[in-house]
Amino acid sequence: MLEIRGLRVSYGNDTVLNGLDLDLADGEALAIIGESGAGKTTLGMSIMRLADAGIQGSIRFNGEDIFTLSDEQMREIRWNRISMLFQNVNNVLNPVHRVLDQVAEPIVEHKLRSKGGALDRAGELLTRFGLPTERFSAYPHQLSGGEQQRVLLAMALANDPDLLIMDEPLSSLDVTTRQELGELLRNIDGHRAKLVITHDLDTASRLSEKLAVLYGGRIVETGSTREVLINPRHPYTRALIRAYPNMTTVKDMQGIKGRMTRPVSGCPFHPRCTQAMEKCSSEVPRLNQNHGRWVACHRGGIVTLLSVVNLSKQFNLLKAVDSVSLHIEAGETLALVGQSGSGKTTLAKILMGLYTPSKGGIYLEGKKVEKREKDFYRRVQMIFQNPGESLSHRLSILELVMEPLEVQGIGTKEERREKAIQTIGEVELPQTKTFLNTYPHHLSGGELQRVAIARALVLDPDLLIADEPTAFLDAGIGAKILKLMLNLQECRGLSMLYITHDVAAARKMSDRIAVMLDGLIIEEGPSSEIVASPRQSYTKRLLASASSLHYLDKTSVK
Amino acid sequence: MHISLKKEIKQSQSGKAGIIILLVMIAAAVFAPLLSRYDPMQQSTAPLLAPSFTHWLGTNQVGQDIWSQLLYGARTSLMVGFGVGVLSLIPSILFGVSSALIGGIYDKIVMRIADAFIVIPMIMVAILVAAYIRPDLFVLVLLLAALSWQGGARMIRAQALSLKEMGHISAARTFGAGLFYIARKHIVPDLGPILLVEFIYGVKRAVFIEAGLAFLGIGDPMLVSWGTMMRDAMKFSYLNVWVWWLVPAGVALSTTIIGLTFISHAAESVLDPRLRGEVVA
Repeated sequence: MLEIRGLRVSYGNDTVLNGLDLDLADGEALAIIGESGAGKTTLGMSIMRLADAGIQGSIRFNGEDIFTLSDEQMREIRWNRISMLFQNVNNVLNPVHRVLDQVAEPIVEHKLRSKGGALDRAGELLTRFGLPTERFSAYPHQLSGGEQQRVLLAMALANDPDLLIMDEPLSSLDVTTRQELGELLRNIDGHRAKLVITHDLDTASRLSEKLAVLYGGRIVETGSTREVLINPRHPYTRALIRAYPNMTTVKDMQGIKGRMTRPVSGCPFHPRCTQAMEKCSSEVPRLNQNHGRWVACHRGGIVTLLSVVNLSKQFNLLKAVDSVSLHIEAGETLALVGQSGSGKTTLAKILMGLYTPSKGGIYLEGKKVEKREKDFYRRVQMIFQNPGESLSHRLSILELVMEPLEVQGIGTKEERREKAIQTIGEVELPQTKTFLNTYPHHLSGGELQRVAIARALVLDPDLLIADEPTAFLDAGIGAKILKLMLNLQECRGLSMLYITHDVAAARKMSDRIAVMLDGLIIEEGPSSEIVASPRQSYTKRLLASASSLHYLDKTSVK
Repeated sequence: MHISLKKEIKQSQSGKAGIIILLVMIAAAVFAPLLSRYDPMQQSTAPLLAPSFTHWLGTNQVGQDIWSQLLYGARTSLMVGFGVGVLSLIPSILFGVSSALIGGIYDKIVMRIADAFIVIPMIMVAILVAAYIRPDLFVLVLLLAALSWQGGARMIRAQALSLKEMGHISAARTFGAGLFYIARKHIVPDLGPILLVEFIYGVKRAVFIEAGLAFLGIGDPMLVSWGTMMRDAMKFSYLNVWVWWLVPAGVALSTTIIGLTFISHAAESVLDPRLRGEVVA
């Protein structure tokens, strides 16, 4: 029923929507999400033909291009066929009219019913949306935000439109009102098409079946709401989810690198994207179908950085790693959780080429890793369990951090020095001469681990394997190291394989968790699912024995 | 763990004593022409003179000045010692480190060769070869070096094997470092103390064997050596010459070896903390 093709909307030189295509069928509920400034509201206003802007492209409503209609015809469509639930900022309702009259107004305006019939219909709607009868004759300022929103909703539905556009319908409400109103909105008659415009992922998940992610005036990803939110394929969608506080995901919140800029050539997200290629800055990616999802990305969405297929390692009689298959996507953290002796470190050492696997293969961006050349180590780096041991006591801090660059033969001595000092700053260590010339045995455990991290990052790797990076640190220092790693992930798009025996830490750090026992991966999935509903009894035991502050409560309940 | 080898040796009393002894010997060897008026090979005055102001330790059976022979003997002894020490250490490091790092069949072959050399009784071979080719100083050094690298190679290999598993070496490998880089930049420097101990062992052994061969009379007869001096002195034991002829040579040899032992003991305490007297913070 709604068909948008190549919609470009600009205010003066500022192009807000840039070649947007969108389809909406009868009875479908589609949510458009994006951060503020993405052009969401402009989209809604354009469909209503209320946007005061330069518009190109077409919007067809039931086959008719609304831009070819006369103002008269448009008025007919507006509110009768397409209505809009405005973002409830205080000036939407007219402060001098009673709310019942305001709801009846569009009915009367379009001469659908007599004045009395219109008031009846308005009262009926208000009751349906939960406004008590005694409040009907109140003035808007006498109502709470939630009540005002109910009035606006009744207004939007007064003329029984075919398409309801909702702009941030739940955003300004408190959680309980939001819950109640969300239920109401979800249940309004099935045949009506709904377009939900919001920055709020919760609203989108409540009110829509389909989701389109808007960024820089273009749709970057679209698919079923559930699928997109559980398994985002576009780097922007994932970043948006990571930045959103919610009860589903368990990983610590992370912001999105940089900020939105306009105009941008090529892919609108490329300046903030951590997997951007050269092509991304010159060519606009088209929305393409990829594994059942439409994603606009030159790289086909988030790429799989490293995958491991059927990897085994036998030490005499012991099968340390047994047919393990895993994959790590660009910019995500995979936590490998298991007790000591489960084969986690062996797996890490195989990945790094310190052990040769007995069977199976390792693939870096789809290419099999045969003999590890220096290039491999430029992309994959590791921090070891014991920082004190992994740093040679004979080298100064600066020499330690410069060593990988030396081995790789990157730059001149001066350039290496600069790069090393810059990286040392990045891990929040002092860049003073005295510090750079000290030796590792003068540093604390936390500082040592930072030096180890700096040393691993100095080559700008894509994947960081962290083997129990906090095992030798107390909680306060450990937390700082983990935070630092999350920040580095946000800024650099670093992928991480986080190896730990501690599920409590894993759930804060990781997007996905793989549980390892006796060399086997027994369970793997999004961290939230593993933590909330583990399937294997071992995982349940692991979770039950994880650190808790209410140990006695936990045992007494059982 | 960060231990300074230099500090460790300086802090040990016996280490200090060892270094002093060695320095005295080196001084004697270097300044021999200044400390004595006579050429050790020159047959000066009468043979078998008792000590006097002209000949501090008297003369030997052909009238050579014993004091001067003693000083020049230190030259021979230390040259052979340090020559063999250095020359046997090079193959020890080469084979030991490469065996440990490369491993596999290469390691097996090298270690079997080392085992074969260990089984060969060094003194017997040295005596046999020396008796046939009458080696001069240089050939003697080469011969002893060729026969004494194997123990060091095994020690160094064992140490390198354990170093190889250490975190910082694994880390270096994960930067893409090759074996040569790791050997040069990490393993050999980390071997520091063990290399010193091996070196001193080599020196000590060579000093001892050189004296032994000379005593048996199969060294270069033109070479002034403490071993030769003792051998000659023994022939005239009935004349009571031993006091100024046999004993000084014997004492010089023993002192040198004791000095070296002191140093190697102090260096060893770095390797084995149980040998340390007290914990130094």
